[in-house]
Amino acid sequence: AFIKAQKAKPYFKRFQVKYKRRREGKTDYRARIRLINQDKNKYNTPKYRFVVRFSNKDIVAQITSASIAGDMVLAAAYSHELPRYGLEVGLTNYAAAYCTGLLLARRVLKMLEMDEEYQGNLESLGEDYSVEPADSRRPFRALLDVGLVRTTTGNRVFGALKGALDGGLDIPHSDKRFAGFSKDNKQLDAEVHRKYIFGGHVASYMRTLMEDEPEKYQSHFSEYIKRGIGPDNLEEVYKKIHAAILADPTAKKTEKEPPKQHKRFNLKKLTYDERKTKLIERLNALNSAASVDEDGDEDDE
Amino acid sequence: MPAGHGLRSRTRDLFARPFRKKGYIPLTTYLRTYRIGDYVDIKVNGAVHKGMPHKFYHGRTGRVWNVTKRAIGVEVNKQVGNRIIRKRIHVRVEHVQPSRCNEEFRQRKVRNDQLKAEAKARGEKISTKRLPEGPKPGFKVEGAMLETVTPIPYDVVNDLKGGY
Repeated sequence: AFIKAQKAKPYFKRFQVKYKRRREGKTDYRARIRLINQDKNKYNTPKYRFVVRFSNKDIVAQITSASIAGDMVLAAAYSHELPRYGLEVGLTNYAAAYCTGLLLARRVLKMLEMDEEYQGNLESLGEDYSVEPADSRRPFRALLDVGLVRTTTGNRVFGALKGALDGGLDIPHSDKRFAGFSKDNKQLDAEVHRKYIFGGHVASYMRTLMEDEPEKYQSHFSEYIKRGIGPDNLEEVYKKIHAAILADPTAKKTEKEPPKQHKRFNLKKLTYDERKTKLIERLNALNSAASVDEDGDEDDE
Repeated sequence: MPAGHGLRSRTRDLFARPFRKKGYIPLTTYLRTYRIGDYVDIKVNGAVHKGMPHKFYHGRTGRVWNVTKRAIGVEVNKQVGNRIIRKRIHVRVEHVQPSRCNEEFRQRKVRNDQLKAEAKARGEKISTKRLPEGPKPGFKVEGAMLETVTPIPYDVVNDLKGGY
């Protein structure tokens, strides 16, 4: 049957493509415009964004400012740096997000030499803490950029936000979306939030699994067991990591020399002559195959 | 019913977005900074409804006299009757582009300062004035063949048009 082409030439001629990053599904331009727009009477003062993005195995936290040439990253912290501080498992959970946010905050403050003035929240984690402006300089201000994540209560981006806040950054926020906020009371339960920051939810899951399905516990948490991390000492592990981060947040440059030959990810474009010779070879191969194989009806078109 | 002379009358095509350029506007318009004294072109962006200037100012160029949170004050010349008034309007940054009208002047300023500094170092005087194009220099025509053209005598028999 004759099927009429649905998308004819006029369709394509009138089609307006969305922006590249929108087509890739990576940038929400509506949010980006509102985050980047700086008051004109502040001229070139940068407006910093605290960017948090999650991949399947990693957490990226960056402090970025926008410019016409491209966004400039002031400092970045990844959760794959946490092994340096002693955390090798569970690199994408709420507690790891908290550690990454904390690491980024301390790193930025150290870079700007503000880390003495703004120590951040050292105890009573879990409560809503905002930086108090010190006498000499105002605190470092950034705006949270979640990207395309659905901002539900207890999302890991807010774990990273809490880490940055406790690290000493000034990020406007409310406690409505922290883990442990109950809609009925309209209050943040600091105990529950503190539990999440120290991996308490992971620990309780470990305990239930150990009782009900020990084999699943062995398979699911095998890496934890290998390192001797159980539900009871999970909190201490995270406490040690927080202390290590506060002690030395500087980034370490990896010594990896550039590869001698640049790796190619796409096929090299052939010249006209190369393409013609390739075609001739292909035709010859087809012809010889056709003459050998009497039944085949391959034609050299 | 008569046509009406509202604020945005007769702007159906003027304020329309160009073909295949609808939707979000590129972010560089928000990232540009403007200083007092800059020259800017006013070009209305129909996608943004706030801070639109009147259609008269579309395509005008003026100087910045004020910078506020989201808008810019531009001083534009408008002819009213028999005089030109300097009108001060406020326009949102989406409807404004930096003007290139004095770009050549600014580049020339920089170049001339450089030339003058170099000349001073060498100790000689130079003039950096622009000169209009002078007459072309004289040249000799080479390899010309002289051809003398004379009229041929009129021949009644052959030259009569339309046949005889």
